[in-house]
Amino acid sequence: MALSVAAVALLKFVGQSGIDASDASMVFILGVMLTARFTNGYTCGIAAAILGVLLVNYIFTYPYFRFNFTLDGYPAAIACSLAVSIATSTLTTRIVRTDNIHAEAVAERMRANLLRAVSHDLRTPLTSILGATTAVIENDAALTSEERCALLQGARDDAEWLIRMVENLLSVTRIDPGDDPQLNREPEAAEELVSESVSKFRKRFPGREVEVSVPDNLVLVAADALLVEQVIINLLENAELHAKGATRISLSVRTEEDFAVFEVRDNGCGISRDLLLHIFDGSRTTFGGGYTSSGDSHRNMGIGLSVCHTIVRAHGGTMQAENCAEGGAMVSFTIPLWKEDGE
Amino acid sequence: MNGYTVLVVEDEQGIAGFMTAILKANEYKTLLAKNGAEALMYATSYCPDLIILDLGLPDMDGLDIIRSIRTWSQTPIIVVSARTHERDKVEALDLGADDYVTKPFGSSELLARVRTAFRHSALRNTSSGGDISMFRTGELTVDFAKRRAYIGDTDVGLTQNEFRIVSLLARYAGRVLTYDYMITNIWGPNVKGDNRILRVHMANIRRKIEKNPGAPEYIFTEAGVGYRMTEGDRS
Repeated sequence: MALSVAAVALLKFVGQSGIDASDASMVFILGVMLTARFTNGYTCGIAAAILGVLLVNYIFTYPYFRFNFTLDGYPAAIACSLAVSIATSTLTTRIVRTDNIHAEAVAERMRANLLRAVSHDLRTPLTSILGATTAVIENDAALTSEERCALLQGARDDAEWLIRMVENLLSVTRIDPGDDPQLNREPEAAEELVSESVSKFRKRFPGREVEVSVPDNLVLVAADALLVEQVIINLLENAELHAKGATRISLSVRTEEDFAVFEVRDNGCGISRDLLLHIFDGSRTTFGGGYTSSGDSHRNMGIGLSVCHTIVRAHGGTMQAENCAEGGAMVSFTIPLWKEDGE
Repeated sequence: MNGYTVLVVEDEQGIAGFMTAILKANEYKTLLAKNGAEALMYATSYCPDLIILDLGLPDMDGLDIIRSIRTWSQTPIIVVSARTHERDKVEALDLGADDYVTKPFGSSELLARVRTAFRHSALRNTSSGGDISMFRTGELTVDFAKRRAYIGDTDVGLTQNEFRIVSLLARYAGRVLTYDYMITNIWGPNVKGDNRILRVHMANIRRKIEKNPGAPEYIFTEAGVGYRMTEGDRS
């Protein structure tokens, strides 16, 4: 509506500068088009068209500054400009709709990609759990206790992996990309997010040490703690599971302007160039495990990373992945610092 | 048998089965209630030593069960919560639950919580009660009488409020204390809701007692809930 007001103001301005009626009608069609382009739908465009016709009549045709519909041939002129402007409005509205449909299609395709990847990823561990437990139940007498233990351990590992996957999916459902994301933002200490993530990570991988460094001063970020911790845990797990040959994993925090930068590094095999291009969009999940595309396990990182990306973006941050010059991979993300309102 | 009776309140059979199995394997007697009404009935008629309570029950709100039990009993209550009920567990702790585990949890985690809860209830019931003069865990020593904390032999130089925070956590070591509980305890009820002041103090404490504030050994954060100090020895 603001735009249609602007268009009318423009018309007035044109009127004052003494341009004649034919130029004015061009300007008014432009106004109608712009109105339709930047508002949502026909109503505003058509309203602007009718308003425009009335204004042209009022301002630019004799008698000036008075309505007069009785001029010779005038009804035809009115009908004509009205038709032209409505058609313009319709066309531009259609462009807007096409844009929206396109954006929805992209979102839909991403969702479909994710769903396909998830179903594929869920099937493998479920099959192995079912197989292992069935084997134990049906062959109880024939199995040695080590064999039984090994089968159950496999089932437990798969169940743990499934839980992590479901946690990731739960987080994504909490973030609706279009609307205002359902984040529970609080002033969180970056060091607390880091230390809690690392201690959760250590519970799952007791053998692995993570080198942690945080700034000397307290860094408060505006974050949904559970979601950001999940990002950090995902990155640590990727480094642990996919960076082949890695002997050390490090996690550091620093500040850069209005953001805290969280960085996970490893000294493993690095990320293949091909994978780097699509690393956050979830489309490369079929590559299977590994920063390289060797595909030797169902524990792939595609879903985890696209979830991370979604979470970081919802916080207003950015995410990056690259290979370090000295070898190994580096994935970093930013989260805005906490700002006290009104201070 | 160690003689303790644990009441498990859980409507999902798989989870109830696994919890009672590991409790029995560790020589606890177990009772199983499948809904809120049974839970209240068993709690009053058997007077269990500990209650493990799932907050998502079919017939009533788990928080109401805590309220009801707390009117007449100090039996330790460990709350089992699902991720979709994040706020419920904080409310449960503020209502008087002693601890919580979040689904999915492993058997070692559950048993650790159960042991901590028993230890605290035992302390509460002895004549000396919570009256301890010294707390030690790792290198950290908290001297309640002198109001000082040491790493090894060195006084870490906590301020008044910092010491009050550390001693509060040490007194309840092993248990999670909610932000609101701690803030009310240190600064009084009027500061409630402002977690920032606590965060800033915790950051200072961490820099005084931890070797690496990014990888603490003594005080742990539980996102959205509060802080927990590692278990230690009291004297």
